[in-house]
Amino acid sequence: MIAVELRKLFRRPRTWVTIALLNGLPVLVAVLLAVTDLAPRPGEGPAFLSAVLTNGTLYPLAALAIVLPLFLPIAVALIAGDSVAGEAQAGTLRYLLARPAGRTRLLVAKLVSILVFVLVTVVVVAVVGYLVGRLLFDVQPLGGTSVSGTDLSSTEIAWRTLLAVGYVAVSMLGVAAFALFFSTLTDSPLAAMLGALGILVASSLLFTLDAASSFAPYLPTRYWLAFVDLFREPILWRDVVRGLALQGVYVVVLLGAAWANFTTKDISS
Amino acid sequence: MKPQAPTGRGATYRGRVGGRGNGAAGRWAVVGGAVAVLAALPSLVAALPASDAATSATDLRQQALGSADVAFSGYAQAAGGLSLPVGDQLTDVADLLSDRTTMRAWYRGADDWRVDVVTPTGETDVHADAGGTWTWDYVHATATRTGPTPLALPTAPDLLPSALGRRLLSEARDDELSRLGAERVAGREALGLRVVPAEEASSVARVDVWVDADSGVPLRVQVVADGAAEPALDTGFLSLELGTPSADVTAFAVPPGADVREGQDAQLLRAASRAGREARSRLPVALAGLDRRTIDGAPRSVGVYGRGITLLAVSPLPGRVAGPLRDALVVAPGAVLDDLGVRIAAGPLGLMLVDGPDGPVLLAGTVSLDALAAAATELTGGDS
Repeated sequence: MIAVELRKLFRRPRTWVTIALLNGLPVLVAVLLAVTDLAPRPGEGPAFLSAVLTNGTLYPLAALAIVLPLFLPIAVALIAGDSVAGEAQAGTLRYLLARPAGRTRLLVAKLVSILVFVLVTVVVVAVVGYLVGRLLFDVQPLGGTSVSGTDLSSTEIAWRTLLAVGYVAVSMLGVAAFALFFSTLTDSPLAAMLGALGILVASSLLFTLDAASSFAPYLPTRYWLAFVDLFREPILWRDVVRGLALQGVYVVVLLGAAWANFTTKDISS
Repeated sequence: MKPQAPTGRGATYRGRVGGRGNGAAGRWAVVGGAVAVLAALPSLVAALPASDAATSATDLRQQALGSADVAFSGYAQAAGGLSLPVGDQLTDVADLLSDRTTMRAWYRGADDWRVDVVTPTGETDVHADAGGTWTWDYVHATATRTGPTPLALPTAPDLLPSALGRRLLSEARDDELSRLGAERVAGREALGLRVVPAEEASSVARVDVWVDADSGVPLRVQVVADGAAEPALDTGFLSLELGTPSADVTAFAVPPGADVREGQDAQLLRAASRAGREARSRLPVALAGLDRRTIDGAPRSVGVYGRGITLLAVSPLPGRVAGPLRDALVVAPGAVLDDLGVRIAAGPLGLMLVDGPDGPVLLAGTVSLDALAAAATELTGGDS
């Protein structure tokens, strides 16, 4: 069933169009930077963007930082919101459930296909960022400088970038879980996606508000930027670990809610 | 077979509805229970009681002051509630006292440590060695070498609870001390110690220091201004690990491509002594009832008065610094403008720009506005 769902997801042109569009912005930014040589003022703009002019191997990180706040979650919410509600809207959900596999398994299959989509998307963004960075910017053969001012060898940059890619992928699971849950509530994929984005916007806004600091540690977007901590020396694991645990809690709770709702839902279409 | 019953289990309508009700309730109960457990976990951990010890206030202060050679690594957060209206001057100090500062610290000894101020997209690190400090600023790619100075503006490492706690307790007298209970700070048992300054001029109502019961390292410091309910400064460790961190961590090498600069403090001091060179009058031995402190190596024109947590600094300012500062102070809410000059209070911190006979003089410290006015009168030779 998982294989069926995966095949369905990656055979759709829409999936690939989404991934391609997602890569458009970092590529455009890279071209603009390379042509004009105007990096954002230090401390402004997305993380690592001012560092890429001197070291192109950091561009995968800058690309992730560019798509992380909005583009990536929109793509994830689009796919995850569509997963169940899309079938309901197209009238195919009842045929899916007629198979003897059961609803819980269908939900798990949908979730796994979303996870694979998230991972593929993040990896594609990083790989395209790496290629663009190598093509358009200077590359330091000896590695680079960590945020703490120590030397990083090329292999260190490589494995820390891999960790960052993994971390960003996990960070998207909360959005995916929200969209999947909403997707079991409604028959409209659009409503599910917008619901997840609404949560996301609210979370980003509350995070900037001092008055909300009492529950800021529990906001789904709280630890998204923690992948920067992987480039400090020594690595600051605190927020990374918390970010992973928080996404885990959101996935467990929302998946539980999606399961509780979906397995007992009347399927009308 | 054409699928008809959506549940696919051939249940009757009545049975399905009834089953649905029970199944749904059970499933939602499981989900609700899991949410309740997860939501309660943080408050359960926070409610772990801390046991008080019968340590006296005097002993606890000694324990805290004796912890300067306890090595540790930790993660701390300082929250300042002071808005300093200093315009473009001294923005670093103003940010430090008004923002939330997140710090990582590695402490091997009094002259071998490192404090990183962590921001979402960068960091500013101070590495201390026997000869001074290196400050690495990732965002601007600069490394700044600062030699030892007798007087320096406050920087982030001064806000680390261990350093701030020891400094604020260093001159406290026994009659100013009292014990508070025990609290859990950074998961460790901490004993409370309260300092209420005896000086009348002081603008600080109290300072609460929470001292680690095991090691004596101050874990949390809260400074409350006169008449305020909330602390003007609250700094505490969120995690602390005793044990000597590796020397590699505190050492510093200038990264390739970094700008190397000289520290600001030395320049400021030179400017202050230049500005005070023409001064005819010497600074008095006491101001507003506070005695002058002797600080080796400080310019003659710069004076520090007071004791413990009641301190007043007096320094002549070059005109190019004084002008913009006055403009910023005058429009600040609550500013008092009179013949003596302009003065404001930001929490427990008082700032005053005095029109002295030899040019502008800055008074700054943890003293009340009345004490600032009295000090200004004495400085300018007015009738007092």
